Amino acid sequence: MISKKHKVLVANRGEIAMRIVQACRRLGLDFACVYTREDHASGHAALARELGGESRLFRVSSYHDANEILSVADHAKATAIHPGYGFFAEDFRFARRVTERAHPLVFIGPSWRIIRSLGDKINTKRLARSLSIPTVPGSDRPVYDELEAEEIAETLFAFQAEQGVENSVVLVKASAGGGGMGIEEIHDIDQFKTVYRRVRNYAKRQFHDEGVLIEQRIFDFNHLEVQIVADRTGSGIMHFGTRNCSVQSTGRQKRIEVAPGFRPEEIHYAFDAKKVMDDIVSFSLAMAREVGYDNVGTWEWIVSPMGQPFLMEVNTRIQVENGVSAAISRIKGAGGVDIIAEQIRLALGDSLGYDQNDITFAGVGIEYRIIAEDPANRFTPWVGRIDRFTAPGREWLKFHSHIPQDAAYLIPTEYDPNLALAIVWGRDLAEAKARGISFLDDMVLAGEDQTGASLKSNVAFLRDKTAALLHF
Amino acid sequence: MDTEKRIAELSERLGYIRDIFGSRENANITLLTSKLHEFGEREPLASPQEAARLVQQLEDLFVFLEKKLDAELSAMDVVRIVRHPHRVSLKDILENVYDNYTEIGGQDEYSIDPGMLIARAYITRRRGDKVHHQPVMVIGQEKGHGQEFRNGGSVKPWGNAKALQYMKVAETEKIPIHTFVSTPGAFPVEDYPGAAQQIARNLYEMAGLKVPVVSVISEGGSGGAEAIGLSDARLMFSHGYYSVISPEGAAAIEAGTRQGQRVPPELITACAERLKMTARDNLSMGYVDRIIQEPHLGARPYHYDFFKTLRQEIIRATDQVFLSIAGMKFFRAMALGRHKDVSPADAENMYVRWTVDEAAAERLLWRRYRKYRCMAENAFVDSRSPTKRLYANVQGVVWSGYSFLRYDFLGKQEKRLSKALGEVEGELRVVVDKMSGSLRKMTRRSGPAVCDAEKSRMLTELSQPELGACLEDWGWSYISPRAREDRAVTCPNMKQSGCPDLWAPDLFGDFAGVCSHCGHHFPMEYQWYLHNVFDPDSLHEFNAEIEAGNPLDYPGFVDKLEEAKKKTGRKSSCLTYESRIDGKKIVVAVLIAPFRGGTVGAAEGEKFIRALARARKRHYPFLAYVHGTAGIRIQESLNGLIQMPRVTMAVRRYIEAGGLYLVLYDTNSYAGPVASFLGCSPYQFAIRSSNIGFAGPGVIKETTGIDIPPNYHNAYQALTRGHVQGIWDRREVRKNLKNALLTIGGRNLYYR
Repeated sequence: MISKKHKVLVANRGEIAMRIVQACRRLGLDFACVYTREDHASGHAALARELGGESRLFRVSSYHDANEILSVADHAKATAIHPGYGFFAEDFRFARRVTERAHPLVFIGPSWRIIRSLGDKINTKRLARSLSIPTVPGSDRPVYDELEAEEIAETLFAFQAEQGVENSVVLVKASAGGGGMGIEEIHDIDQFKTVYRRVRNYAKRQFHDEGVLIEQRIFDFNHLEVQIVADRTGSGIMHFGTRNCSVQSTGRQKRIEVAPGFRPEEIHYAFDAKKVMDDIVSFSLAMAREVGYDNVGTWEWIVSPMGQPFLMEVNTRIQVENGVSAAISRIKGAGGVDIIAEQIRLALGDSLGYDQNDITFAGVGIEYRIIAEDPANRFTPWVGRIDRFTAPGREWLKFHSHIPQDAAYLIPTEYDPNLALAIVWGRDLAEAKARGISFLDDMVLAGEDQTGASLKSNVAFLRDKTAALLHF
Repeated sequence: MDTEKRIAELSERLGYIRDIFGSRENANITLLTSKLHEFGEREPLASPQEAARLVQQLEDLFVFLEKKLDAELSAMDVVRIVRHPHRVSLKDILENVYDNYTEIGGQDEYSIDPGMLIARAYITRRRGDKVHHQPVMVIGQEKGHGQEFRNGGSVKPWGNAKALQYMKVAETEKIPIHTFVSTPGAFPVEDYPGAAQQIARNLYEMAGLKVPVVSVISEGGSGGAEAIGLSDARLMFSHGYYSVISPEGAAAIEAGTRQGQRVPPELITACAERLKMTARDNLSMGYVDRIIQEPHLGARPYHYDFFKTLRQEIIRATDQVFLSIAGMKFFRAMALGRHKDVSPADAENMYVRWTVDEAAAERLLWRRYRKYRCMAENAFVDSRSPTKRLYANVQGVVWSGYSFLRYDFLGKQEKRLSKALGEVEGELRVVVDKMSGSLRKMTRRSGPAVCDAEKSRMLTELSQPELGACLEDWGWSYISPRAREDRAVTCPNMKQSGCPDLWAPDLFGDFAGVCSHCGHHFPMEYQWYLHNVFDPDSLHEFNAEIEAGNPLDYPGFVDKLEEAKKKTGRKSSCLTYESRIDGKKIVVAVLIAPFRGGTVGAAEGEKFIRALARARKRHYPFLAYVHGTAGIRIQESLNGLIQMPRVTMAVRRYIEAGGLYLVLYDTNSYAGPVASFLGCSPYQFAIRSSNIGFAGPGVIKETTGIDIPPNYHNAYQALTRGHVQGIWDRREVRKNLKNALLTIGGRNLYYR
C-alpha cells in the first residue's frame, strides 16, 4: 500500500477538483486546494473547507501560473500535484518542472517524456504507424516539397474513390498549426496547387514553418475512446473498456458519453462492432506498451461508417468522462470503481493489484454534461445567476457538480460554463436511456441573467440526443 | 602704435602657450610671463626706439623659448594644440596651399554638414613656359576656428555620405583625392544612415577607389578619421595626433567611471602617453608614411611658411603615388629613384601627369591592398613553431595553386562546356516534344483515376521508417549552463506583454533563451550557436595559435589579457572555423563577447583576414558571426584602429572574387568593427537580441549631450535605417542560414 504521508495539491477547480479531493479522502491522503477570487463560491473550495478546514485552502491569482502553484505546493508541504484536466494536465514542461525541480514532487499523471511524445500529433501518428495501427490516411510527416504534396493529394483522391467514398475531401493543414488554424479542404485535385500554396504561405508567415500535412477528411464518423490505466512500472497496463463520445456540440465539444462504445447486443451495425471495439482496445494497449505508459490515459479513435477505426490522438491525462467507464466496470466483481483514485494510487507508486481478467463490464453508462448554453445558437455560453439546481437522488445516478445546491450561484465568466456531470447506469442500453430521460425530467435547473431572461441550458438537447445513442 | 600691435600679438602667443601647457607650471612660461609683464611696466617710460628694441628682444626670446618648449611637449599638450581654436583649419589650407578652389555643397553654416568640407581645387605647376592646372578633389573635416556650427569637425553620417559621393565623383573624373583628417571622432548618431553604417560604406568604397588618395592627418580621432582616411599615401602633421580614442575616453574606460563622474586629469595625461598617438609614434609603427614638420608649438593660420611646406609635401606624395603606378616599369622605377633624392621644394617644379588608366588603377588597388595588409603584422603573437609556420605557408601556396587550377582554369572551361551542352539540350527537347506530342495525344488514357497500390501505401504506412517513429527533434545539442538552475526568470517585457515567469531550464534549454510569450531574446552564449547552428562535429578551428598581444606595452594590460585567456580558454576574441551547414562548407569567423568584450585588435584582424583569404581560395561562403563586439581594442591604439580599413579591404577583395559575405549580429555590436568590415556587408542580419550602433548610450550622452531614447540601438532600429537586412529568431538561425546559402551569393561559390 502507498504511504499515507503523501499530501496532494489539487491544481484545478470545479467538479474535477472535488472528485480529486474525494478520491484523496478515500485513499486516506492529505490534500490541499487552490482557488481564485472568482471561484470563492465554487463547490471545490467549499468541499476543501468542509473536509480539511481553512488550512487546506490557498488562494492564487491564476490556475495557470506555475510559479504560484509550486510555491503554494511548497508552502503547503505537498508531496504530489494533481493537475486534473485542462490547465497543466498535458503540459509536459509543467510535469517536468514538478519532477525535476530542486525540491521534486510527484506529478500525478504520466511521466513528462510520455506526455511530450504523445502530445505531438505527428509523432503519435508515426508511432502508431510503426506498430501498424491504422491512422487517418495521408501524410505522417510535414511535407515541404510541392510535387510530393501533390502526389499525396492525388493518391488520396484515388484511394478514397477506391474505398467507395462518394464525396472525397482532402485536408491541407499547416503542420505547425492547431485549433483549426491553417486548415483548408479541397474537393478536387485541380484546386490543390492554389490551396497548397495558400496554406504553405500562411504557415510560413504564422508559424515560421512551411510544412503541411495532407490528410483524408472523414465524415459521419463515431468518436470512440479507450480508457487505459497503468502503474508506474510501465508493464502493468490495463484497459477499462471503450466509450462512445459522438454526441458533440458544433465546436466538437463532447456533450454525452456512453460506455461501452457500441452495443451490438441491442443494436444492429453495418459492420462487426465487437471486432472494432476489440481492435481499438488491443491497438491502444499495444501502443501504451510500446511507450511504457505509466498512468491513466485515453486513446481517441474515429470509426468510419464502414467500421474502419483510425487513431486520432492520445490524451495523457484523466478525462472528464472517466466516471462513465468506472460506472460499468467491476474489479474482481466489485463495483464502485474510481478511476481518479486509481490514478492517484498508481502515480504514487502503488501496484495495480489486479490484472485484465479481474476487470469485467456490466450494463451501460451514460454521462450527460449539463451546461448553461444555447444549443440553438451555436452552443453560446449563457452567463447569469443560478437560483435552483437540484438533482433527484437515485441509486443508479452519480451527480458531480461544484454548484452549491443550497444557495444562488453566479457563474464566473472566467472559466467554462460547465455546471454538472450526471452519470446514469442501466442494466442495458434501453434501461439506461429510460433512466437518463427520467433524470433529465426530474432535475431542476433555473436561473436568470442580468436582463432577467431565464437560464438557457442544453437539457433539451441532451434529451433529444438520448434516443439515438450508440446508433450508427 | 606698431609696438602696441606687436605686444598684443605676443600676449596672444603667450595665451596660446598657456592654453597648450594647461595648468602645468613651467620655468620658461613663467619667464615669458614676467618678461612681458616687465615690458608692460617699462614701456610707458621708454622712448619709441627703445620700446621697439625691447619688443624685438622680447620677440626673439619668444622664438627661442617656443623652440625650447616645443621639445618639452607631452602627448597631452599635442592634443591641446590640435584642439586649440587657433589651429590651422582646412579652410586655411585651401586658401594657402591650393591655387584656386570652389567649395562644393555648402558655405559656412549653409551646408548639409558644415563639419565636412569639400572643394574642387587646382594646383598649378609650371614646366618651362607651360602651365599645368592639376585638379584635385579636396575632402576633409573643417573644425573652423571655434565656430560652433562646425561641430568641432565631428562629422554627422550625412557629412560622411557627402564625402563619399564626391570621392565617387573624383573617381569618375579620374582626378586624385586629397583628404584632410581633422576630427575628434564621428558624431555618434544613428539616424538615416547610422554613423557606423555610413563609415563602413565609406571604407568599403574607398577600398576600391580607382584614383589615388593622399591623406593628411592633423587630428585623427578614431572612426571619424577612418571615414576619409583610407589612402595610398598617409602624411601626418608633426603636432597632430592619430588615435583609436581620445585620451579622456581611454581614461574613463580605464578608471571605469560612470556618466557624469570626473576622471582625474593625471590619468588622462597618462593615457595620452600610453595610446602612442603622436606623429612620431605613428611613423615608427608604420601607420603614417611621412611627417610634415610644423612650426614650433603647432601651425597656426599666420604660419605662411608652413603652408609652403605643406603644398610641397602634398604634391610630392601625390606624385609618388602616380609614379608608383605609372605604366612603364623601367621609367617608373627610375623616376621614383630620382624622386627620392629630390627635396620637396624641387618636387613642385617637376611634372608628373596625374592621370590613371585602367591598368594603372588595378595596380593602384593592389598596391593599396598590400600597403594595408602589411600593417600591424607584428602587433600580435604567433605562438606557432617556425616549422609549423612554414608548413602553413606552403599549404597556403598549394591551395592558391589548386584554387587557380580548379576554379580559374578548369572551372572556366567546365562552365563553358556545360553552358554549351545546356543550350544544345534545350534545343533538342523542343524538337523531341514537338514530335512526340501527337503520339502522346493518341495514347492518353481517359477514365477514373486508379489507385496505385504501391502509392496508396504511403497514405497508411509509416513513411521514411529510417528516420524512426519520433521525428521531433527534442532539444539542442548545446544547452546553456543557466538551464541547470531551478529558478523562475521574469521576462523584461512582463509589464507590456504580460509574459508569465519562465522556468530557467525551459527558457534556457528548450526555448533557447527566447520568451515563449513575447519572443524576447535573452542573451545566449556563443557556444550555443557553434553547436546548434552548424552540422554536428563539423567545426574545425584554424589559426587558433594567433594570440592577442600587447604591442604598445600598455601598462597592466598583459594581466587583463591573461585573465581573459584563462576565463575563455581562447587566445583572442576572434575564432575562425571551417564548418558545414546542411553539408555546405563555410568559413566562419566568430567575435566572442566574453573575451575582452569582443574587442578587435591586431590578432583578431589578422585572423579575420586569413579566414577571408581561405574562403576566397576555396570558394566557400563566409559567415561573420558577431556574438558581441565592443569596438576596437583601445589598448592597442592604432594597431587596432587600422584593422578597420585593413579588414574591410580584405572583405572587398573576397566579395569581388564572387564570395558570399554574411554578417550575423547577436548581442551588442558597436563601434569600429561595425563601422567597417562588418557594416560593409551587403547581407547583414541580426538576431532579435542584438543592439547595433556606433557608440553606446553613455558615450552619446557624453559627447553630444543628446539624451537618446531607449531601444535606440536595437535590431529593429537598425532594420529601419537599413543597416541590417533582416531580423532572425534565434531558434531559426540554422534554417535561415541554410536558406541564405541557397539563395544569396555570387556564382563563384563552390556549390553553385
